[in-house]
Amino acid sequence: MTKHLIKLKVNGEPYEVAVPPNKLLLDVLREDLGFTGSKRGCDDSSCGCCAVLIDGAPMLACVALASSYQDCEITTVEGLGTLDGLHPVQSGFADGGGSQCGFCTSGFLISTKALLDRNPQPSLDEIREALSSNLCRCTGYMQIYESVKLAIERAAARKAANPAGARS
Amino acid sequence: MAMNSVIGKPLPMIESRAKVTGLGKYADDLSVPGMLIGRILHSPHAHAVIRSIDTSRAEALPGVKAVATGRDAPHPYGILPIGHDECVFTVDKARYIGDNIAAVAATSAAIAEQALDLIHVDYELLPAFFDPLESMQSAEHWLHPTKPNNIEKEYHHLFGSVDEGFAQAAFVLEQRFFAGEVTHAAMEPHATLAIWEPDGRLTVHSSTQVPYYLHRTLSEVLEMPMSQIRVIKPLIGGGFGGKSEIIPLEVAASVLAKMAKRPVKITYTREEVFLAHRGRPITIVDMKVGLTEEGKISAVAARVVQDGGAYCGYGPVTVLYSGALLGALYDIPNVRYDGFRVLTNKPACGAMRGHGTVNVRFAFESVLDDLARDAGIDPAEVRRRNLLKAPCITVNGLRVTSYGLPECIEKVVERSGWKEKQGKLPYGKGIGIACSHYVSGAANPIIRSNIPHTTVHIKIDRDAGVTVYTGASEIGQGSDTMHVQIVAEILGVRPERIRLIAADTELTPIDLGSYSSRVTFMAGNACLEAARNMRAQILEGVAAKYKLGTAMLDMRDEQVISLDDSRLRLTFDEAVAAALEFRGALVAKGTYAPPEESRGGKHKGAGVGPSPSYSYSAQTVEVSVDTDTGQIRVEKIIAAHDCGRALNPLTVEGQVEGSVYMGLGQALQEEMVWDNGRLMNPSLLEYKIATTLETPEIESIIVESIDPEGPFGAKEAGEGSLAATIPAVANAIYDAVGVRINSLPITPEKILAALREKGKQQRGGKSGSNGGAR
Amino acid sequence: MSMPAFRLERPRSVAGAVSILAAHGPDAMILAGGTDVVPNLQMKLFSPRVLVDIKSLAKVCRLSAIEWSPGNGLRIGALSTLTAVCESLLIQEKFPVLARAVATIAGPLQRNMGTLGGNLCLETRCHWYNQSEFWRKSLGGCLKLQVSDALAGKEGPVCHVAPGGRRCWAAWSGDAAPALLTLDAEIEIAGPAGLRRVALAQFYRNDGMDRIALGRDELLTAVRVPPRMAGRRGNYRKLRVRNSIDYPLAGVAVSMDVDPRGVCRDARLALTAVNPAPLLVKEVGEWLIGQTASPELIERVAQQAIRTAKPLTTSGSTPVYRRDMVRVFTRRALEEAWRETAGAPV
Repeated sequence: MTKHLIKLKVNGEPYEVAVPPNKLLLDVLREDLGFTGSKRGCDDSSCGCCAVLIDGAPMLACVALASSYQDCEITTVEGLGTLDGLHPVQSGFADGGGSQCGFCTSGFLISTKALLDRNPQPSLDEIREALSSNLCRCTGYMQIYESVKLAIERAAARKAANPAGARS
Repeated sequence: MAMNSVIGKPLPMIESRAKVTGLGKYADDLSVPGMLIGRILHSPHAHAVIRSIDTSRAEALPGVKAVATGRDAPHPYGILPIGHDECVFTVDKARYIGDNIAAVAATSAAIAEQALDLIHVDYELLPAFFDPLESMQSAEHWLHPTKPNNIEKEYHHLFGSVDEGFAQAAFVLEQRFFAGEVTHAAMEPHATLAIWEPDGRLTVHSSTQVPYYLHRTLSEVLEMPMSQIRVIKPLIGGGFGGKSEIIPLEVAASVLAKMAKRPVKITYTREEVFLAHRGRPITIVDMKVGLTEEGKISAVAARVVQDGGAYCGYGPVTVLYSGALLGALYDIPNVRYDGFRVLTNKPACGAMRGHGTVNVRFAFESVLDDLARDAGIDPAEVRRRNLLKAPCITVNGLRVTSYGLPECIEKVVERSGWKEKQGKLPYGKGIGIACSHYVSGAANPIIRSNIPHTTVHIKIDRDAGVTVYTGASEIGQGSDTMHVQIVAEILGVRPERIRLIAADTELTPIDLGSYSSRVTFMAGNACLEAARNMRAQILEGVAAKYKLGTAMLDMRDEQVISLDDSRLRLTFDEAVAAALEFRGALVAKGTYAPPEESRGGKHKGAGVGPSPSYSYSAQTVEVSVDTDTGQIRVEKIIAAHDCGRALNPLTVEGQVEGSVYMGLGQALQEEMVWDNGRLMNPSLLEYKIATTLETPEIESIIVESIDPEGPFGAKEAGEGSLAATIPAVANAIYDAVGVRINSLPITPEKILAALREKGKQQRGGKSGSNGGAR
Repeated sequence: MSMPAFRLERPRSVAGAVSILAAHGPDAMILAGGTDVVPNLQMKLFSPRVLVDIKSLAKVCRLSAIEWSPGNGLRIGALSTLTAVCESLLIQEKFPVLARAVATIAGPLQRNMGTLGGNLCLETRCHWYNQSEFWRKSLGGCLKLQVSDALAGKEGPVCHVAPGGRRCWAAWSGDAAPALLTLDAEIEIAGPAGLRRVALAQFYRNDGMDRIALGRDELLTAVRVPPRMAGRRGNYRKLRVRNSIDYPLAGVAVSMDVDPRGVCRDARLALTAVNPAPLLVKEVGEWLIGQTASPELIERVAQQAIRTAKPLTTSGSTPVYRRDMVRVFTRRALEEAWRETAGAPV
């Protein structure tokens, strides 16, 4: 199949990559751009492991054709924070037990980030609802909720410490 | 010993940063230059002789670099020495829809898939067996000629006298239970990258819980010495037993890499994960229990048939666990067990969390609940009246060294408000209780030998960094962190000082793998011994240099101090430097082998069940039942788990909650649905693992019985709580609406049917001893 | 599972989309959110030569706008995401049955991508059909999707749900359609001759193989609800194993206009996932008009709903149970609608 040069903006950086039209965003991220943090857990858009932010909304990279998202801001788990500057949702999951095997983690982080961007103080029911298309086989979800609560606290603390400059 | 600084503290897992940043690498995340993509051809038929395979058109397709069939790797293998009955590509016949026929390595996935379509296989169809009860009556067309009547294994155990036991009973109940087939559904589909090295060696990165067994098997199948093969376990996205034996893609990728002399990666589709399976079998349990007037269990007799699928796998172990742990949770004097592992033309079953115990425990705890009602005894109380008096040896020869079950029951009864709720909630609401237990590793290895089950090395050199080498496999359960905690505790250093190298057969000593909940107990003990050896070496060096006795030296807070001379205070780096003067680089070793007295009795099959220690769990479950729809809402689960000692409460709670979650899935909504050997729901859309919205609040309570032989008193935490959840749900449903559901999963439809049956009986003036609807 | 090969078109106008569709006929297929189409493509359920990605039309052609006016009623652009529909305060307030039904579709991630138009054009579903190519080949195909003759067996394509029958029973599995049926919704369809409007009830053919009356050169562009339906109470009951991700196994939507005395002025009831189409339950409107709630009346309606539902074994649940639940859900949906109207919102 003929490849086409497409332009993607991922984690704030522009990329040009030649892909066939049937290539999925998940595969371009993982194979062409090296963002392997997004995972493939299923083949029928039902597990949430591949979630990325597209223009701020969490979506499934496994059902997105890469060519269709050329004008969008794409954020993967690698774009949330850095190793020495974890995003609060990352440090919340790292410390709260929300990540056991870790395979679903990036999808949960993406859904959580989107939730907290819209609603910095969600109730437990709102958290459950927002995370309800992300499957986790390890935790039974309890420590995921604890991790989200930790993230909320840390985001609030960060905002209080740096009201002007805090990024979400 | 001084107060623990690391042990017992909720420490985040050491690899958690790698996971939350997306930078940690799982097998499918790996790629190397020149890498080919492999795909496997599966049988479309449930049972068929392979007359011939023509791969010529596939081989001719541009981009195809290797095509492998059974001829290329005819060496049979299997996880058990008695069950070497599968080849990576089946040679003689296909035994299930999905059986492995051939594989292709090509320059792209699309080409590899295209090539599969070009392989022509000439099949001759055979009659197939899908029902275990029919299969075990079969007179011909057996799956394996060496297994008459399609019975893989049967075991018949008798301890005490069940006839006398039942004669003493005031209440006897016999029921048949059915448990549908469930699977691990770890979020990570299996993946293997096999790299053919320029020097003719093979490096295999694979999603495995058992690198050592994979190493052995690859050596046998590829006919290469183990020394020429290196197996590395990257991050693993969950196992639960589904990666605890050799999975066909691991061998297939390696065979293709050897043929193509190139790196080959195979990643399963989700459907292939379901076909590789190795999960919990369909189980039919005939359970008979006798209870005395005083509420003592006087006898148990169980007949268990397991639908094992097409290959042996762990099958004999599964069916033995079902028997061995049946009578060992409580004090039961008389036990008869008849277990059958049957072959059918479906994907092979194997080990899944709670291996072998779960379906039998569902049956037993359900019957016990009914018997308690017959006897007019509170269901929590009947369990209390049948406790073991540890330390003890159970009737079937299992040695119990620590037994926190009494406290587990107390805790959940108290915390749940059991006394105010049981039997007293309004119609439609109910509470149930059940107990379970599990091994802390098998006392007898799969492959009989005298080598230790685990060896751990620790090395310290001039940089004073502490490097721990362990073969144990982190699969998300906290293995790596556990090692770091133990070493940090013993050497009195910060966890950050410790670098862990794990599960790389070229670098790390043997550990048998992450299965049967053996890692904390066995690798933990080996690690503890290694750390103590290392500590002794450092202290000897310090003592020699400063002319002191070692007895009064201690290591804590990154320092070596003298308890009787406050002037002596060395940093860890200084202490290491002192020790290096005497020894050069410091190397310490620890090993663990279960003690002889933990290895069980001498009867046939006695090797499975014995463990150096057992975990215990008690749970209460509260449910609401909608009597119009049969739908069940689980309101809350409280699980108390005796893990001996929580080395890391954060991960222990995570393990307990995860076990409960998986048990709840099997109780209510998970089932592999079959139609003539065809899996109807091979996807995460249709195989219903629970989302956040059905999962109730799970409260975990840690009970610490301090096992005398566990590392710091620790034992199993990751499996023992699963089995109790299922009968606790069933018992809660009984409490809510008075119907006993004997079949898993407990679907709304089954509840509704039972309620209607009960209504009919009541209208007809009949009512069973427990309200009927059995 | 790899994707089949195709050419991707991203038209910049509705007319452009229509002309591409017209040029390629059966070789073209429309792609919107992708949550249904892409997995189906990976399973090789279809093999279009041209995939027409219409997401590019969202902004240019008001295809994602949600608009209301007292004169024209509600217009929802077909590319509105399901999230936008169920979170629209306007829809929640004026057309609660729609907001509630859409909020049950799959889960939040899927609703952020899936579109209302896509949900109205879903492929029908059956567990003998929604399977991988390997799986279907091993079966020998089915009526809805035949495989090559060599694999199909001597008797030719067979329906595994109703063997011997020549009709496909794959179930309509959308949640939005039943809600919109109870609101007398119309849809706008763009084609070579321009826009046409058709009652949603006329859009569905009740045939698992040929589910919707949409020409190969046509595109669904918007959904319209007449202004008289605004303010109707309504709710949606969905049978599923999990409370997220799952398609419906049965679903009942009710809209009702009730006066302050509790007398029904008008009502509609529609079912989903129990036939190859979403269907309005006939006659119940007339039965309910002028009536107050009574157990007998509600039971009579529920029985009529059961007569409308003809589920077969197309999913993990049984036909018997799904019909049972149609009865229970109809009863509950009606009771709830009546209760809410009486001033006690649930």
